[in-house]
Amino acid sequence: MGMKTTNLVSKYHIFFFVILIFLIAFPFVADSRTLTILFTQIFIFAILAMSYDLLLGYTGIVSFGHAMFFGIGAYATAILLNTFEPTIGVFIGSMIVGILLSAIVSFFVGLLTLRLKSHFFAMLTLAISGLLLVVAEKWRTVTKGNDGFTFRAPDIFKDRIVFYFCVLACLVIVFLLLRRFVASPLGKVLIAVRENEQRTRSLGFKTLHYKVISSVVAGVVASLAGSLYAVSLRFVNTSVMTMDITLDALLMTIIGGVGTLVGPIVGSVVIEFAQHYLSGLAREFPIFERWIIFFGIIYILAVVFFPKGIVGSIQMQISKWKSKKEVRKTFALPEDKERAS
Amino acid sequence: MDLIISLVINGLATGMLIFLLAAGLTLIFGLMDVLNFAHGGLFVWGAYTGVFTYTLTESFLIGIVAAILTGMILGFLMEKLIITPVYGNHVQQILITLGSMLVLQEMIKVAFGPNAIPVSVPDYLAGSWELGEVILIKYRLFIIIVGLIVFGIFHYILTRTKIGLIVRAGVMNKEMVQALGINIKKVFLFVFMTGAALAAIGGMLMAPYSGSIYAEMGMEFAILGFIVVVIGGMGSFSGSLFAAVLVGLAGSFMAYYVPSLSLAVNMILMAIVLIFRPQGLFKMAKG
Amino acid sequence: MMESLLKLHNIHTHIGQFHILQGINFEAKAGEVSVLLGRNGAGKTTTLKTIMGLTPASNGTITFLDENIEKKPTYDIAKIGIGYVPEDQGIFGQLTVEENMKVAMRKVTDDALEKQDYVLELFPDLKKFWKKAGGHLSGGQKQMLSMARAFVNDSKLLLIDEPSKGLAPIVVEKVMEAIMEMKKRTTIVLVEQNFIMASRIGDTFTLIDDGRTVQQGAMNELIADDELKRKYLGIG
Repeated sequence: MGMKTTNLVSKYHIFFFVILIFLIAFPFVADSRTLTILFTQIFIFAILAMSYDLLLGYTGIVSFGHAMFFGIGAYATAILLNTFEPTIGVFIGSMIVGILLSAIVSFFVGLLTLRLKSHFFAMLTLAISGLLLVVAEKWRTVTKGNDGFTFRAPDIFKDRIVFYFCVLACLVIVFLLLRRFVASPLGKVLIAVRENEQRTRSLGFKTLHYKVISSVVAGVVASLAGSLYAVSLRFVNTSVMTMDITLDALLMTIIGGVGTLVGPIVGSVVIEFAQHYLSGLAREFPIFERWIIFFGIIYILAVVFFPKGIVGSIQMQISKWKSKKEVRKTFALPEDKERAS
Repeated sequence: MDLIISLVINGLATGMLIFLLAAGLTLIFGLMDVLNFAHGGLFVWGAYTGVFTYTLTESFLIGIVAAILTGMILGFLMEKLIITPVYGNHVQQILITLGSMLVLQEMIKVAFGPNAIPVSVPDYLAGSWELGEVILIKYRLFIIIVGLIVFGIFHYILTRTKIGLIVRAGVMNKEMVQALGINIKKVFLFVFMTGAALAAIGGMLMAPYSGSIYAEMGMEFAILGFIVVVIGGMGSFSGSLFAAVLVGLAGSFMAYYVPSLSLAVNMILMAIVLIFRPQGLFKMAKG
Repeated sequence: MMESLLKLHNIHTHIGQFHILQGINFEAKAGEVSVLLGRNGAGKTTTLKTIMGLTPASNGTITFLDENIEKKPTYDIAKIGIGYVPEDQGIFGQLTVEENMKVAMRKVTDDALEKQDYVLELFPDLKKFWKKAGGHLSGGQKQMLSMARAFVNDSKLLLIDEPSKGLAPIVVEKVMEAIMEMKKRTTIVLVEQNFIMASRIGDTFTLIDDGRTVQQGAMNELIADDELKRKYLGIG
């Protein structure tokens, strides 16, 4: 929900700007290889989670197969870099191949499945991504199955800091593009689909078309994240296509805040950091090996009590605090009622 | 011939286990319009607590009772704490039940450790009969018989008793059932607990069949359960028996003849059904 | 004057964000047939659903037998003696006529069985198709089954939503006769578009327009008042 006064918008801008400066300065100030790698990982998953937010938060569809696009991107990059010379050109080419493949797959999957009700859609996406996982596991000549394979990344990415900036740039670009996308007339229709598909349809919008567009865009962005992920590990195996990846994206989006785009970024920071430190703690307290339990519980509580997540809840607080300053009306705005329900 | 018979028995046994899981899923969906993505968690909890008790008491029967109790208790808690707040909101239901699945699965690892636990068949069910060339493994026959008994009991309850009539009426028209003075929430709770207990029995019976239990088996079987529910038609009890046997047999034959396709065949089956006949093979007539 | 059995005072109902009922006042007296009249979409069906608790009132009070029921859940409202016959009849299609009646009969008592025999006399078709699936009945038979289900319990009040809708004139006649007969044993609130039918069996009328009560009175007054009929019902 965009803030209305220019005053607040500029406050937001300053806020983002400060964070961006911090992130740019970070690798130079903090001389920590581990943290640089962790941040790179966070950026990659933030891109993935934002793409998921486009589906869940802006279009209101739950996909359990989002990992397949992440996997397509990861395999496209890994296979091409392994087959050809590991140059920047091949890398960019492989990203484009991944994106095209994801666009095609998500287009057809979307066309076939998005007519179905949410339950069926969730299950069918689960099945299709499961199928693709089986294909990846069986097609050993190309994918090496579950064992996976290592490959050489372009030399320039050997410098972790260069790669860090590359991924950061991708994150910023994707964020800005997606923000424009959801604010565009097309994005507004998607939100209308989320709020009430029936009514949107009766207004004359072919909602299926819009849902397919949303799933193609989400698939393309997820593929991009997958490409970056493969390069960050210089290794790929079938785990990039598993339910765990989808679950990560889901947790990040829900905990960070659905329908905000900033939320998934915050969510990936929280989850990646927590995962990092909690698995560190696990050496002393074995319970932390099961850190996912805590997230599971937080996630359940979030779905029930804070369906807007961290960012959404903060935004709600700000707008509440803002509306107190404004002239009070006798009746609550319809917008507020919708949020409350 | 003997090969085909043993493949059929294999398929039927697996099918019955899937049926126990799918029966609860389909009833809960049909009546409450809730697709419980955590159902596999109930299955695996039934398996672990059942096996735990079985090892402790050395009685397979007490193990089954323990599994049923666990299923009912977890079912009660889940319905009250997890499902009730999100009635009517599909997206939230999908999200919250998936989260519960995650928690249930990880809790297994906390309570019983992350490693697979070996389980043996009780003595009186171990071994096999030989009929000429055909070898009949006792435990598999036992599973098939239990599955058929459960189906028989539930079929009787659903078609012959008042509570069964109310459940079926509720699947068709919830509002009307309420308007006739029946507290549908109590019925929901009852059905949810029963479904959970069925899943738990399935998990417990699964344990000696597969020889070991592990936390992830819940999700694996739940996916088969979803496939069965979709193929059989959401809300159709007989449909899920039919589809479970179909999936079990397809899996058993594929695993022998085309092993590389065995994992995919069920997924493809479901995808085809969803695309061409999303209401399932056995459709619920409304109104 | 007879005592009032059901009384709605300034009822407001929201469905989603739509404010459907915006002040319904209405009274049904014991032993009478009260008819809710009004154009399509005026809020008649919602009024019945609100009484039943299916679309709970957001404001206002509903008293039934001197008890406030507007906050009660649907099944409690049914239990204290209100039977509901929805517009689509709400038949359980896969259950037989017998099973439909079984679900409806909350307690198998002599009284309930006597009432069941009574409605089966009234609707011999139901007896004839006792083992037939509800979904395979004709429209008129579904209507009869739905009314029988609502009646079989200790229902002091029946809410019947457009019983004549989509039925052949001869069937409408049958249904009307049945309502007249049932009136002897219970109180009825009827939503009816068919003014001829409404005027013949109704004792009182309540005109609803745009979610508000416009006028209430004896049916004879409305029959005589061409102006009112033209304005709100488009007839006269």
